Amino acid sequence: MIKDKLRVEKVSEGLYRLDTRGLVCPYPQLLVIRALNSLSSKDVLEVLIDNPPSVRDIPPILEERGYKVDVIQLDNMTWKMLVRVSK
Amino acid sequence: MSLRLAEDIEKFVGRYSIGRDSNPYDTTGSQHFLRIKIPGGVLSSDQFREIALLSSKYGRGFAEITDRQDIQLHWIRAEDSLGIFGVMDKMGFTTDMCGQGFGGAKYGDVRNVVCCPVSGIERNEIFDSYPLAKEITRFFTGNPDFLDLPRKFKISISGCGADCTRAVINDLAFVAVRSEGVTGFTILIGGSVGPSLPGPRLAKPTRIFIEPKEVFDVAVAVVEIHRDYGNRESKAKARFKWLVEAWGLEKFISILENKIGREFPRYDGPVFIRRADHEGVQPQKIEGYWYINIPILGGRLTSSLMIQIADLADKFGNGELRLTPTQNIIIPNVKEDSKKTVLETLAKTGFSMNGSKTRWLSVGCSSDFCGKATDMHAKKMLKDIVEYLEEYFGVETLNDLGLRINVSGCPHDCGASLVSDIGLIGKQIKVNDCLIQVYDIFIGGSTGEKPSLGICIEKNVPAEELKFRVASLITSYIRNRKTGEDIGNFYKKHSNEKLKNSLGIRR
Repeated sequence: MIKDKLRVEKVSEGLYRLDTRGLVCPYPQLLVIRALNSLSSKDVLEVLIDNPPSVRDIPPILEERGYKVDVIQLDNMTWKMLVRVSK
Repeated sequence: MSLRLAEDIEKFVGRYSIGRDSNPYDTTGSQHFLRIKIPGGVLSSDQFREIALLSSKYGRGFAEITDRQDIQLHWIRAEDSLGIFGVMDKMGFTTDMCGQGFGGAKYGDVRNVVCCPVSGIERNEIFDSYPLAKEITRFFTGNPDFLDLPRKFKISISGCGADCTRAVINDLAFVAVRSEGVTGFTILIGGSVGPSLPGPRLAKPTRIFIEPKEVFDVAVAVVEIHRDYGNRESKAKARFKWLVEAWGLEKFISILENKIGREFPRYDGPVFIRRADHEGVQPQKIEGYWYINIPILGGRLTSSLMIQIADLADKFGNGELRLTPTQNIIIPNVKEDSKKTVLETLAKTGFSMNGSKTRWLSVGCSSDFCGKATDMHAKKMLKDIVEYLEEYFGVETLNDLGLRINVSGCPHDCGASLVSDIGLIGKQIKVNDCLIQVYDIFIGGSTGEKPSLGICIEKNVPAEELKFRVASLITSYIRNRKTGEDIGNFYKKHSNEKLKNSLGIRR
């Protein structure tokens, strides 16, 4: 099951998805940063996440690195983070 | 993604995590903590030194002994964590899974299995339970069938006849007993002093008798019951105590017996037969050997002190160390002729080996990191109070009283203040638009032979007044108690009004 979480899935041209649901710190952060490093500029990474500490921690870390991050709450336990690679 | 990162993550998920130091007041600057599980609290001097090095490299040179025999480091950065996990993997240690960070009733794990810290070396021990603690730990660690419990699950096991593991605050506690000349265990279930529903509860004695060879199967069966029947609708109702309360003991025992496949004999004897926290210097089972319990008071120490303790264990013990459930460290297997040198060295290093028993018995939580409290924080508060009481009453008087003072920074009560003689539970209140840290005073909590939850006798005491209030309370008890009357019984017979009167400040 964990292997699925490590994979970045291509949803459409320029849009990629990473599902980190069920993972605790530090894994969502490490996976997101690693995934972003492998994407091209103008790509968008959509991250599914259900660990509130990661939802709080990851956006400021990415913003500090120059990424633009939008967080959308899908339900009371799940969030979608949209990260734009172009800085 | 690099292959290396993917392989590391795959290897570590389910066994390692870092928790979040919330810290909205930014008093420490720590974002994450690392809670290293030390099964039964037993580790080698080399492992302790290795953790000291991790603390030095990644944790600003500080470490904390927790009241579940873990070692906790702060200031851990997510980007360093895989390297740290790699070092820990070589040592054979794992971490808590910190599933409490998730919303909802899910991703709970079995926490460090707490064990009598002098298992195997204690005189008059009923059963050496450490091998069982290790076996239970090995089974649950990283086991995918048990990484999504409704909430965390706490297990303790003790074989010394005393309640040094604080059985009543565990979800499942094994306690060694003798029944008609046969050695076995009885279990207590459903303890937790936190505010989650149905509120603070002491684990209930089941009065069943289990053979030592059944302990492992019973542990697995009870955690399965929590996993399969625990409440998953609400996080507040997801601790095991909710299920135990809803079912009652009879139903629980019946379901457990069905799972194990036999009826357990009844055990009506005492659960505990003595009081001991293994404090100070004590003779071991084998004549001529001693264990030396170093009081840390709050459990926080520097990496350089850790290395000095590890060196002492190598030089004068057998290179082994034991962490206690009251945040202290034991050097076991010290020979009679080395005892004096070790004690002198520890005193020179700054440990209060001649301090009061209260130093060994008391606990303070890490409220300065979790972010649910402001200054004065629990560990600092505890140190401040104990030092003041030693000066005010003298060590001899305090030793006669043998008081346990537990301090928690917030109502989650991580310091288990509700089961200490004097329990202090912090909270924040607004005064003139400023948030200030105050403490509620509880009295008469206890574990062991007569377990009870403390009762609140005064609320909202400003942190700076607390040590004077506690001194007043003890003075009143000393002056008016009947012979043999413990502080809990003394205060429980008075009305709240009288109790409050005894809290006047005496500096």
